[in-house]
Amino acid sequence: MSAGKILVVDDDPQIRRVMKATLVGKGYEVIVARTGEEALEMLPREMPNLVLLDMNMPGIGGLETCREIGAGSDIPVIILSVRNTEKDKVAALDAGADDYVTKPFGIEELLARIRAALRRSPSSPEGGPHAFRSEDLEIDFDARRVKAAGREVRLTPKEFELLRYLVAHAGKPVTHRELLQAVWGPDYGDEPEYLRVFINQVRKKIEVNPARPQYIVTEPWVGYRFVAP
Amino acid sequence: MKALRFAASVLIIGAILALYRTLLPVNNTTVALTLLLAILGMSAGWGLGEATVASVVAVVGFNYWFLPPVGTLTIQDPQNWVALLAFLVTAVTASQLSAHARRRAAEAEAGRLEIERLYALVQAMMLSGNARKTIREFVGKVVQVFGCTAAAFYYRPSEEIFRSGAESKPVTDHDLRVAAEIEDTSIDAQHQLATAPVRLGGRSLGSMALIGPLPSEQSVRAIVNLMAITIEKARALEDAGHAEAARQSEVLKSALLDSLAHDIKTPLTSIKAAVTSLLGGAPGAETELLTIIDEEADRLNQLAAEVIEMARIEAGKLHLEKRAVAVADVIGGALAELAPALKGRPVAVEVSEGLPAAAADFEFVQHVVKQFVENALKYSPEGSPLSVSAALRSGKIVIGVADRGPGIEENERARIFDKFFRGRRHRFETKGTGMGLAIAKGIVEAHGERIWVESEPGQGAAFYFSLSASDGGHQS
Repeated sequence: MSAGKILVVDDDPQIRRVMKATLVGKGYEVIVARTGEEALEMLPREMPNLVLLDMNMPGIGGLETCREIGAGSDIPVIILSVRNTEKDKVAALDAGADDYVTKPFGIEELLARIRAALRRSPSSPEGGPHAFRSEDLEIDFDARRVKAAGREVRLTPKEFELLRYLVAHAGKPVTHRELLQAVWGPDYGDEPEYLRVFINQVRKKIEVNPARPQYIVTEPWVGYRFVAP
Repeated sequence: MKALRFAASVLIIGAILALYRTLLPVNNTTVALTLLLAILGMSAGWGLGEATVASVVAVVGFNYWFLPPVGTLTIQDPQNWVALLAFLVTAVTASQLSAHARRRAAEAEAGRLEIERLYALVQAMMLSGNARKTIREFVGKVVQVFGCTAAAFYYRPSEEIFRSGAESKPVTDHDLRVAAEIEDTSIDAQHQLATAPVRLGGRSLGSMALIGPLPSEQSVRAIVNLMAITIEKARALEDAGHAEAARQSEVLKSALLDSLAHDIKTPLTSIKAAVTSLLGGAPGAETELLTIIDEEADRLNQLAAEVIEMARIEAGKLHLEKRAVAVADVIGGALAELAPALKGRPVAVEVSEGLPAAAADFEFVQHVVKQFVENALKYSPEGSPLSVSAALRSGKIVIGVADRGPGIEENERARIFDKFFRGRRHRFETKGTGMGLAIAKGIVEAHGERIWVESEPGQGAAFYFSLSASDGGHQS
């Protein structure tokens, strides 16, 4: 059995070749697509465990493809791009990507990020909460269901893990680094912009007024804290 | 012509009097009314003078031949006095009224003609988006439409004079310059010369001169105003054209740089991915060779990144996103990214207590600090200490990196931020692109700040740049 099935989407044939050779060598099953359209068409048929997505492609492009993947499934997406500005990273994460790797990259770094994206924390970690309930927010961690203001909301796996970790440490400030390592993995810690994007998305889904958060509050210079009212 | 009409008017009155006296005997009222009709006709057709002469002749003749006692100029019946007076007053008044109406009509006609000409001038002003061409066409049109002999326009912003038509008594350039300074229009009918300043909203654009048969003063003013508006419009069009062209070229440049970055980095991505995956399982000797490929791929990538960044700075395409930035974070971030290279180097960081946040683009400023630190590492002996500082100096936040290297000679200090400049001592030994400090300078200058170096040869060098404090308080 393979370590997982990875869909590589890139318009450059050499990159597809080298990714295929390397990832197959590491025990992954690899399928490739040349464009976003082709990837979206393959997705329901192939059901990969992970998508490596180039940002700059002809046709609908990486960001739009990422949004479409997120709308139809919860397959983790890692965006690969030659651009390295924070704005581009935030745009990719906003589009629903789990991670962002700047080209060119060392293969070890990419492999670490692939492992992090494929790793799903056990559905109920030891000592973790099973449920949280307040007037306008209900979270069932075992069933992975969240209800805010009486309405069911859908969280992506990373958003859900983030919320679980914060609830498990309710009342205490959690540092950026701790949160990144808990949710993304031990190789992370210097990506505060990841947290900004994901915390904002979770707030939009669970807070009554995301601009004045009630549950997930910012601890200036430190991190975030979950507050049970 | 005039005399002929006077003679004709007297003849007509005489003919009417003779007709009724000899051939067609009727009562006096009919005679008087017929005469009045003829006089009215004359005043409408010919003018007040002819009608007045005709009235006097008619009164005398009517009195002589028709009012009793007939054959004398005396009047017996006082009632006839009244009738005669009424006839005279009616004839003269009617003549005056109709002459007045004629004059008005003539004036209106002249006004209409001038308006028509001005309108023709407006219509002729096809704005070409080129101010000079528009002015030349306008001056030509004025001569053509208003039938002047010649026209001249002095355009102040470019000190140019545009002339059109044949000038028999030319206006000198000096006259035109003087006219631009004078407040009002001057019309010299004797020399057939009109000069007027051309102004728009109090701003002088120059002056205009018309030579030959002149239009009315109002028309001269209107022409001058039209000229001002036309110039202004042509200039606005020209500016808009320039701005659009500049914008398009910027967009193109930016797109070109982006695609260049993409095109260089894509093959590097394949090389880097391939070589790093080979490195994982390679035996000793091959590891060395593969490491060289890997390092050189990194170097090529760095070079490409710097070339593109330099091009962006030179094209003025650096896109800054200024925020309130904590200087300690900038320094911390830069040092963290350089951690592997800083191994074995004591680094002293000194950030002043209570330093305000800086208004800066975090990533770019961090890049400058990194560049300073890399530079210090490159040009100072291995194991020697570095110090990074941030303090408030006369209202500005000043960030500096100092090393204990050989320092920089005075004659090289000014050129050290130039592209591809390298100190005499290091010309052949140090690797790098020679663009690092030039890029740092570009970034600092894009912030509107200053970058400089202080050095005591033999004692080391210290690089500094300034940032403005942010008014927005601390970073969120």
